[in-house]
Amino acid sequence: MSWIAPGDDRQALMNQLPGIGDRFEGLYAALWHLPQVPAATLELCRLRLAQLHRSEGDWLLEEVRVPAEQRSQLRQWPDSPHFDAPERACLALTEVHAIDAGAITDDHADAVKHHFGEVGLVALLQALGVFDGMIRLGLVWGLADSPGQSR
Amino acid sequence: MAGAARVRAPDSSTGNVIRDSALGIVPQTLAHYLPLNAAIWDDGPLNAAEIEIARLRNAQQVGCVLCKAVRYDIAIEAGLHEDKVQMIGGEFELSALTPREKLIIAFTDQYLNNPGVPALQLRRQLQAEFTPQELLHLSLVVAYFNGFSRCAVALGGMPDEMPRTEISVPR
Repeated sequence: MSWIAPGDDRQALMNQLPGIGDRFEGLYAALWHLPQVPAATLELCRLRLAQLHRSEGDWLLEEVRVPAEQRSQLRQWPDSPHFDAPERACLALTEVHAIDAGAITDDHADAVKHHFGEVGLVALLQALGVFDGMIRLGLVWGLADSPGQSR
Repeated sequence: MAGAARVRAPDSSTGNVIRDSALGIVPQTLAHYLPLNAAIWDDGPLNAAEIEIARLRNAQQVGCVLCKAVRYDIAIEAGLHEDKVQMIGGEFELSALTPREKLIIAFTDQYLNNPGVPALQLRRQLQAEFTPQELLHLSLVVAYFNGFSRCAVALGGMPDEMPRTEISVPR
């Protein structure tokens, strides 16, 4: 049970704020169907954010299936052969975004644009903002072990 | 010195600051951002002045020059005048802000700087001052504006300073 309102998972809490919670969930859901960046690449970024935030529940969540080798080697992605160049560009930007968006360099952005274009960079940054928000909400609400049970 | 923008904004001038920004080049998300942005201001139990306090505190913490310069007209109408805006900075606990306004800042800082369940004392203060729906609204206000301001900063091209700019909620 969360301390903030009655409810055991993110969906149950979002449902208590109709008009806002459902629209926030709608934006999150739309990210998995973007034509600009593959959903599996976005899932790797979401999982990396879960690792960086130490959110076990978000790490255990599976929005999109990714190869088992990628999951198991995500912390070591710079040295792993299981990540291709577009995924590496996105993961590099994800890690800096998680710490300080102001520290993202032109090189980080150019690497993503090289593979996905300007529209892909914007889509990725929007996705990272929403993923980071969902993870932080689960942690602040006290849902770290079960943020997305109902999905 | 400010760097160059990393993405070109669309060639539109609709007057909607979201649609005319770089966010406008992703139609699949724009269709969700616009109604969500309006709902954040219109559909929750917190008033516009309270939303603006959380938004501006986030803007300071993220270092978004654009977000810090903006003032929403409905927040001013709801009583958030410039003298109060100036109290949202680092020494807010010693300011003349109300206990409720200080708790909005404390919750925002918790979300931004130490995402996790707040300490018992802060939790009790929040629960005594706000309804569950108000706390959920505050949570989503901070989450929404934090994602938005991080995106704005990451897209580059932000000037070093901007004048205070009053705008209406883009709809």
